[in-house]
Amino acid sequence: MAEATLASECDVDISDILSRYPRNQGSVIPLLQDIQDRYGYLRPEALDALEQWLGISANEIYGVATFYAQFRFTPPAEHTIHVCQGTACHVRGGAQNMAELQQLLDVKAGEMTPDGRFELGRVACLGCCALAPVVSVDGHVYARVSPKKLPAILNEYSGEQESQ
Amino acid sequence: MELVIDGKQVTAEAGETILQCALRHGIEIPHLCTHPSLPPFGACRMCLVEIEGMRGFPTSCTTPAAAGMTVRTNTPALQELRRNTLALMMIEHPSACLVCAKRELCDQFRPASEKAGRTTGCHTCNNKEVCEVRRLSEELGFCHLPVPPMYHQRPLERDNPFIDRDLNLCILCGRCVRICKHQHGASVIDFVGRSSATKIGEAFGRSLLEAGCRFCGSCVDVCPTGTLADRYAKWYGKPDSAVETTCIFCDAACALNALATDGKLVSAHAVNAGVPVCVLGRFALAEFLNGTDRLRMPHVRVGKVLREHEWDAALETAAARLQPYVGSAFAFVCDTTSTLEDRHVFRKFTREVMQSEHFIELTPDARGEAHVTLPDGVKAACFTGAFADDEAVAGLELLLVQDCYPSPLSERADIVLPAAVFAEIEGTAADRAGAPRPLRRACTPPGQARPDWEIVCGLARAMGANGFLYESAREIALEAGVAEAALWIAREEAPAAARDPRERRTHFRGHDIAEKVLGLKNLPLNGAAPAAVVAATAQAPRAAGKFEILEKSEIAPNNHEIVIHAPHIARKAKAGQFVIVMVDENSERVPYTLCDWDVARGTITLVVQEMGQSSRKLVLKSAGDALAHVVGPLGIPLEIQHYGTVALAGGCYGVGGILPIARAMKDAGNHVIAVVEARSHYLAYYSDKLAGIADEFMQTTIDGSHSFRGHAVDYIGKMLQDGRKLDCVVAIGCPFMMMLTAQETQPHGVKTFVALNPIMLDGTGMCGACRVSVGEETKFACVDGPFFDGHLVDWEEVRDRRVAYSAAEIQSIGRTEPVVAAAHHGGGHACSCK
Repeated sequence: MAEATLASECDVDISDILSRYPRNQGSVIPLLQDIQDRYGYLRPEALDALEQWLGISANEIYGVATFYAQFRFTPPAEHTIHVCQGTACHVRGGAQNMAELQQLLDVKAGEMTPDGRFELGRVACLGCCALAPVVSVDGHVYARVSPKKLPAILNEYSGEQESQ
Repeated sequence: MELVIDGKQVTAEAGETILQCALRHGIEIPHLCTHPSLPPFGACRMCLVEIEGMRGFPTSCTTPAAAGMTVRTNTPALQELRRNTLALMMIEHPSACLVCAKRELCDQFRPASEKAGRTTGCHTCNNKEVCEVRRLSEELGFCHLPVPPMYHQRPLERDNPFIDRDLNLCILCGRCVRICKHQHGASVIDFVGRSSATKIGEAFGRSLLEAGCRFCGSCVDVCPTGTLADRYAKWYGKPDSAVETTCIFCDAACALNALATDGKLVSAHAVNAGVPVCVLGRFALAEFLNGTDRLRMPHVRVGKVLREHEWDAALETAAARLQPYVGSAFAFVCDTTSTLEDRHVFRKFTREVMQSEHFIELTPDARGEAHVTLPDGVKAACFTGAFADDEAVAGLELLLVQDCYPSPLSERADIVLPAAVFAEIEGTAADRAGAPRPLRRACTPPGQARPDWEIVCGLARAMGANGFLYESAREIALEAGVAEAALWIAREEAPAAARDPRERRTHFRGHDIAEKVLGLKNLPLNGAAPAAVVAATAQAPRAAGKFEILEKSEIAPNNHEIVIHAPHIARKAKAGQFVIVMVDENSERVPYTLCDWDVARGTITLVVQEMGQSSRKLVLKSAGDALAHVVGPLGIPLEIQHYGTVALAGGCYGVGGILPIARAMKDAGNHVIAVVEARSHYLAYYSDKLAGIADEFMQTTIDGSHSFRGHAVDYIGKMLQDGRKLDCVVAIGCPFMMMLTAQETQPHGVKTFVALNPIMLDGTGMCGACRVSVGEETKFACVDGPFFDGHLVDWEEVRDRRVAYSAAEIQSIGRTEPVVAAAHHGGGHACSCK
């Protein structure tokens, strides 16, 4: 956490990312994806650097980015929880999992806990309907989740602060 | 190539679209997103047409005209389609006035728009008279909203010096985004987000200023709605004259279309729509010309003070004082922003009349500044601007200044003569390349200001010289051999300052332009430290007065509920009375109806609509701030007695105003029917409160988005027609609403009280500002009112007196509105940012 704070105060250097793609308008989306992969979100400094590189205004790049649900503009939480609300998960209790997590974390779907540790999101399908209902944490999929199993799953992630 | 449009054989030129071809042949196809300055876009779906042999309804703005086409532009199916498409757009636009049944009556009663903070309908929209949406809705016969509208309650954006942006009016046509991209290559705005959350904005919620806006104003010029507005010009309405002239703030000499109302310059736009002008030409000119401290009268020093003189007297004095300095002791100092004609006359005067070789023509530097060092032996000089500091003129025995604004130089001058400047004069200017460019008179100079050549000719004649009897600048041009000027010069690209406002000039005739156009202080300059954001109406320190604001919230768009600590007023308040508020020691005194009070808590409650300067000052305050003065309760309380059945009609701020009356009437044993109107469902407030007090409650909406469709008066009329007996009606709202209510009840002989709200000053019956005609009598609304018999009021007089000072007030808003810091987030949350 301490390193992350420091990094956000440093200048953004995305020169290696820029060199991966042709220097034209068509590269905007892959460049944005790589920037988000590196920093977890689209940092204003990175968009300003992109403006310099591509000659497209940061405002226009931002306009493009906000059209897509995949891009975010604020730093992510340490752990991102996605609760599947797709058809298969829905019929097997996805909504109850969501309700339980909202209560456990005391946040609404789409929000982050005040300590910045968890972010709770809904997702339409994770592509593993046979395992329904599923919850994913940082991309790791938990199968056949029930509200009863959720505290244990959260514990796997809550403990690490002490262990560091 | 030949094609047929609506049965008419027409010829299309190569590359023309169907829309362009149709318009050229006088066939009108409705269109919205397309604009002559922009490439086709095809987004708004208004210009749909039917083409034989082609499937569906292609957009005529993007479909090239082709030989042999048969196009129909106005079938019932197309009209239906367009109406429905417009209706979808109008769901996210304050559209109640477009579908209002009293639209024509309202336009008759108040043809111009009234100023307001948030615009929630056409009659408070700065764009009313030139609105393309309004025109289109009329053309299409649009009169019904299929579903209730959605108001986004987006913050008013007033956090830059020149452009007001209210995204709640935006229909997302994208013209602003496209013109910015088209003219500058890179846009500072774009569509942000998607679906119903889409809005126009900058990256990361930056302001226009932070996003690098060039303030060329092109986005404002192409906006079809009132979303984007030129802050200075917005409330002047539709200009009554347009003159093409040249901007000579710098030697790029851009052609400007100067728009004026009643001889006063209101705004200026690039003549060449493809190439923008800079912030000085687009936004600073009108404010610069209309500055309240412009020199208006000749002044002559008498002892230690400069006294106002008539022209003849001033010129005679100047001539007599100049006489002893004929010869090398005299110098004339001007710069090259003076016209060629002016400079010809200056030179001729200096050489022939004063017989001096010291005609000094300065060339301003890149910032527009010019400084002179007077030659040795000069004892008298005439300056056309502030081109010297005190030291440089310390040796002078006589100093004449002819200029547009006072300066330290004019303050120490012996004679000061007021000069008209470009856009007020005829003549010829030379641009950077030396090409002549025409200056045309687009507006009236202030006071008795005259063109410079006229001043010097007058001086020459007063000194007995011949050869200075010119009738016009053209006559001088002929004598001086000035070539005929061409207005429009094709430009490849915009001048540097239009591409980057940091490159702009800062001075004109030795004056710092930003001192006259305060908004410029917020714009960075190259080579200068970034200026601190200047708030002209700086926030007063807290607790400046003893009337603390305890609570404040925007209870409906543009309606603010303010709870003020004022125990003395609360103790004595009666239903129907009002208070007069002064926000700070220098504020206007404005009356507000008492909407509620709490004796135990020692508070009073007001509902305030942001209309102009003073109400805006008030709504910019927040809980914890204090007001300088609150005087009240004033006015005669409404006569509360047992009438029987009482109907109370409330509109706008008056919805709050009828609250205490409902309570008092109920207590007096009446059957109370509260009927309140709102333009649309999202503008309703106090519904629960009123429903809880009144025996019957009706919320009407003008657009029919909730409950009864119509005005409060329509519901009252319906009750009367249905044979309900009303014993008394009380109406509080705008004059239009109260007038309609009184007209409705008159034939039924129902006693009708209206609360008149004219401009007031002292509120004690002394000044007479609030006088109204009721029957044959003249009454003062402050002490005889506010309630009068609605059947006897002269409504046209009420209307006219209310707008008596609007010109002055509009000017004052323009002068003090760069409340950049105060308007947004920082002060008062009047921007409604959460």
